[in-house]
Amino acid sequence: MDRKDNQTPQGESARILVEFLEVAITSIVFLKGIYPSGAFERRRYMNLVVHKARHPELNEYIHSAVNGLLPFIQKGMVERVAVIFFKDDKVPIERFVFKLNVNQSYGAKVEQADLEFSLRSFLIKLPVSEPMTKVLPCKCRWEITAYFRSLPQTSTSQDSEMWIPTDTKQWQQLPVIMPIRSMSSEPLGLQLYLEHASLSEPNP
Amino acid sequence: MSFETTRSGNSGSNSKRSFNSISSNPSNKTSSSGAKNTKNDKKKKTNQKTLGMAWGANSSSSSRSAFRNSPFSDFGSYMVLKNKKLHEQFDAEASSSSQSGSSSGKSIFHGVSIFVDGYTVPSSQELRGCMLKYGGRFENYFSRHRVTHIICSNLPDSKIKNLRSFSGGLPVVKPTWVQDSVAANKLLSWIPYQLDQLASEINNQPKLSAFFPLKNSRDSDDVAPNVGNHVISETENSSLKGGTLMVANYPEHCESTEQVDLCGPEFNDILHEYQTEMMLEVPACSVGSHCELKGAELCDISTLDGMNTGFEPKSSSCQASASVCSGSLDGHNSKESSSSRISLASNQPNSTLAEPNFVENYFKSSRLHFIGTWRNRYRKRFPSSSNAFRYKSSCLNAHADCFFVAVVIKNRPELQDKPVAVCHSDSPRGTAEISSANYPARDYGIKAGMFVKDAKARCPHLVIVPYDFGAYEKVADQFYDILHKHCNKVQAVSCDEAFLDVTDSRVEDPQRLASVIRKEISDNTGCTASAGIAGNMLMARLATKTAKPDGQCYIPPEKVDDYLCALPVRALPGIGHVLAEKLKKRQIDTCRELRIISKESLQKDFGMKTGDMLWNYSRGIDNRLRWSDSEVRATSPREESKSIGAEVNWGVRFRNTNDTQHFLTNLCKEVSLRLQGCGVQGRSFTLKIKKRLSDAGEPVKYMGHGDCENLSHSITIPMATDEVDVLQRITTQLFGHFQIDVKDIRGMGLQVSKLESTDNGKLVHQRNSILSWLVSTSTKARDQEKVTSLTKCGDIVGKLNTDGDRGQLCSNHVGPYVRSDAGSSAGGSGISQDVILPPLHDLDVGVIESLPPDVIAEINDMYGGKLTSLISKYKSRTFDMNMSTTSVDSAEGVTAEEKKSHPSRLAQSNKISLDNKYGDEGTSVQPCSAPVSENISVMPSSLSQVDCSVLQQLPEELREDILGFLPAHRRLESLLDASLNPSENQTGSMQAVSSNELWVGNPPLWVDKFKVSCCGIMNIFAEMYYRSGCTCRLSSILQRLLSEKHVPLDVSTDEWDDAFSCLCELVKQYAELKIQTDIEEIYICIRLLRRLTERSKMFGLVCDGILPHLQASFGENYGGTLHVSSVQD
Repeated sequence: MDRKDNQTPQGESARILVEFLEVAITSIVFLKGIYPSGAFERRRYMNLVVHKARHPELNEYIHSAVNGLLPFIQKGMVERVAVIFFKDDKVPIERFVFKLNVNQSYGAKVEQADLEFSLRSFLIKLPVSEPMTKVLPCKCRWEITAYFRSLPQTSTSQDSEMWIPTDTKQWQQLPVIMPIRSMSSEPLGLQLYLEHASLSEPNP
Repeated sequence: MSFETTRSGNSGSNSKRSFNSISSNPSNKTSSSGAKNTKNDKKKKTNQKTLGMAWGANSSSSSRSAFRNSPFSDFGSYMVLKNKKLHEQFDAEASSSSQSGSSSGKSIFHGVSIFVDGYTVPSSQELRGCMLKYGGRFENYFSRHRVTHIICSNLPDSKIKNLRSFSGGLPVVKPTWVQDSVAANKLLSWIPYQLDQLASEINNQPKLSAFFPLKNSRDSDDVAPNVGNHVISETENSSLKGGTLMVANYPEHCESTEQVDLCGPEFNDILHEYQTEMMLEVPACSVGSHCELKGAELCDISTLDGMNTGFEPKSSSCQASASVCSGSLDGHNSKESSSSRISLASNQPNSTLAEPNFVENYFKSSRLHFIGTWRNRYRKRFPSSSNAFRYKSSCLNAHADCFFVAVVIKNRPELQDKPVAVCHSDSPRGTAEISSANYPARDYGIKAGMFVKDAKARCPHLVIVPYDFGAYEKVADQFYDILHKHCNKVQAVSCDEAFLDVTDSRVEDPQRLASVIRKEISDNTGCTASAGIAGNMLMARLATKTAKPDGQCYIPPEKVDDYLCALPVRALPGIGHVLAEKLKKRQIDTCRELRIISKESLQKDFGMKTGDMLWNYSRGIDNRLRWSDSEVRATSPREESKSIGAEVNWGVRFRNTNDTQHFLTNLCKEVSLRLQGCGVQGRSFTLKIKKRLSDAGEPVKYMGHGDCENLSHSITIPMATDEVDVLQRITTQLFGHFQIDVKDIRGMGLQVSKLESTDNGKLVHQRNSILSWLVSTSTKARDQEKVTSLTKCGDIVGKLNTDGDRGQLCSNHVGPYVRSDAGSSAGGSGISQDVILPPLHDLDVGVIESLPPDVIAEINDMYGGKLTSLISKYKSRTFDMNMSTTSVDSAEGVTAEEKKSHPSRLAQSNKISLDNKYGDEGTSVQPCSAPVSENISVMPSSLSQVDCSVLQQLPEELREDILGFLPAHRRLESLLDASLNPSENQTGSMQAVSSNELWVGNPPLWVDKFKVSCCGIMNIFAEMYYRSGCTCRLSSILQRLLSEKHVPLDVSTDEWDDAFSCLCELVKQYAELKIQTDIEEIYICIRLLRRLTERSKMFGLVCDGILPHLQASFGENYGGTLHVSSVQD
């Protein structure tokens, strides 16, 4: 483990956050049942039963996507990370949005246990908010999309090249937001909410 | 000098050398084992004796330097060369010794190569001499490849413990074996000469491999290198019945595999011949009829005598070997065989060892398996028959008489009256268990479960017949066909027993029905059946017992008592040996005595359930739904099987892990088939192993499992499966968990649980379908809630997300929001059951007017569309001034006069309020949505739902009209009063709380403000702040408020507006505070406010009041609107 990266509270919390995001995103994917449940195996994380993808590629996708965000999260460039479920026509059906708020000026030490305790509540809340979610039609796809506050310089790091502009469409109307869980601790604030197309969204 | 020491140490061998040289030839100067001596030998072979000695002396004195100077690069190559030379020497000696004409048989020990370990009597040199003389070999150094026998008199404990690594699996024999063999002038079996320390371990049970025809071969040439089975027969170990064949598998043992066979070539020839014959017979037999695994027994030699004339001469001395070849010769030899009929399959397929399809055949020929799986078959045949019902008044129990025997002998009239028993095996050993006996046999006291030998002792002329599963199946099917024909309520217990509910049978007299059924069964199947008729299953079963054989018995209710009183308790079902013994101790023999005891004391003595059962049964009470016969309980899958599996506890003997693997594969196949047969898949897998207890000998029951320790390991996988491959992988994995010697395994079973039905397709789909169902209902429920809450609570605005957009309309954007507004309304009308009523007062008319004409037109269009769609379902109204008339028209078009007129009027009033531009904290608009189909009036059900400000705007007469129409409300007056003058109050209170710092400080500013307020509800709020632990979380305060039910939350009229505006401001500021970081908190607060509406309408209004703001800031921060669902308790 690279100690240097984790020396700053932002680095520390970003590392924890990234780890958490990987688990949380996998949990969301599992929750939505987009893959057969056999594609997941049960693991323990933060003393909770979570699911981990068995398929190496799925696992790798989530892992690399989230870990690719690490430097940007550290710098506070990532505003939101969304898990978007969409149909073939690229029109989203449901979006799980993690809204990040990394306090760049925070200087004290991060209490890892406290942070993990807060993050843990997300994983608890996530399965129980399942009734709020929509039923996905079959042949659904999904992606991880990160919303940057500013586009990173391509030259700054290799990681940013991994990211491509998404071609998933936006809803034409303002979406309906259903909060799932929020937490605000220093230096990390995180909110998870669900976005659905508003009722007035024209059906394609 | 070191030379001297060496010499003196080897003085013994020295003398032997001289002996050898005398007896054979001078060049033969081999000594036994010392490295130095053998070096000597080598030298001696080429050089002079003295020179060799000198060399030897040299080497021993300065072995280091000698090594350095030696031509060998390392010790390994040196040893190779040395061994080679030793062999050459030995060969030379051997040839000379044979030439020298030792009289006796030259090659007793042909193929035998011994290694002498440690001190022996006779000495290793003498043994070597014997080997030389009689064609054997002698190894100075142990090698698994060259040595066939290890000779020693004694072994250290460490070598005993680790025999395998020491001996490499080779026989460890006492030196007397060599001597005795020489004396007998033939090679004796080494087994009796086994080292005592080892013999005790190895000999205590026959090796299973002994019972299979092995590829015997006379000499090593015939032995396939890796099959290399060594068959050694043994005659003298009388403790082993039928003889023991020791089979050792030496994969590496290629060149000198040699069979130590007492019988010599002649016997082997015969054996060969015989085996070929056997090989031919085996397939015929197994095809023939009973591929009976259970029953394979050793046939003793007398049987074989009759069969094979050529075998006779040697048979007496070759007992053990002969038994290898014993088997099912029933087709050929039944006449000759001493026992009446050997109905055995070949001995080949009777254990896990030799037979590839062991598992499959095992289950094919297992009676328990037949009974167990019979139920599945039955259920398939009669799928509709219900399996559980109460017998109200009349129950008929039909039981075929000694089914398993009767079916077999029905075509053999000569056996009809003779004692016959069914058993898988009729071997002279008689350790097979009788599974069923007919009545003549029962008269001799023969019972199921008895060993054949015991039964024969009681009845020497007992005829043993094998199973005939095909016939059983056929007869059972016929049996049930008949039962189902006569009664539609058949409850199957087993293949030969069933209960019929004849309460409402077509035939009035159950006795006559019983006789009809019995006759039919007898006619159709050739087997007799007995029937018992009584009021319940218990009594019917007992009646059948009385009726047997081939009779019927009716116990009318009034005779139940008499019948039971005389009945011995042992006859009651559920009372076995143990319980009967216990009862006997208490002097209870009959039900009469049992009845005397109270239920309580029975329960105290025998446990709750058993006591209860005893009490009930002794009174003929049977509360069970189903009859559960112990046999069925043990074997038949229940209605919903919890687990499915297969277990083999008979004939399981393994040599090595390959056998085990093979067996597991077959077991998996069987389990997979069963899973598929039941249409289920499982997630949890348990591998059970029966391990022979360390002190357990070979069980009495042939090939049984004996005393065992039961071990199990299980694993759960995420996805249910029934696939063989997966099962196999899992079982292999599970088996890996057992640290167990495969030779100790006596039984294995694989159990699959956590079953899921395959019919519902994949788990995920199932889950999703349920999910969709849930979600759709919940959505519906939510929608429903919306409707009801609209009508009930007077939440006019803000129920729907779109309202927020409208709220923003006045403040933020124009174009897109109007569009979304319209769109959402249209969408809402298209989808949902409720209709959005826009907060008109929030609309800036100026904005609308300033819209581009095409946008206005678009809105028009959309509202037109909305209205038309609503016409069919709902009444609606619109906020659009341009369209208000249309709306009225359309609304009027749909509904009845009075009701519909209100919304339109209200709309107009809203228009007025809009024009007047009332403050944005004002609430507004009237709910008018309700599905017409449900006939819910558009009128609010109570006045509380009416927006006072709107009401206020109405013309006097209309207002009264509405009020008259509304149900009476206790707070009508005050409400009206409060609402009739909102403007002044609001402005005042707004100023009071306008500062944006209500949540600043600790405690927050508002707490103090509220505390000093004259308004009751605000005081309560402040109090709640402290009670909830001084948190700055509004949700906890609201939560506290909600939980303290006794706190009065009524707001008096004069306080209303002040409180309202203060609370609005409080919540609003709180929302602003939290919007960035904690929308969850906001969400919870909104929901809590909704719930508090129950207590005071104030909160509902507060909630509605702040929603527009909230949605606006949501749009600003999150680009969306908060989902607001109304929470009803």
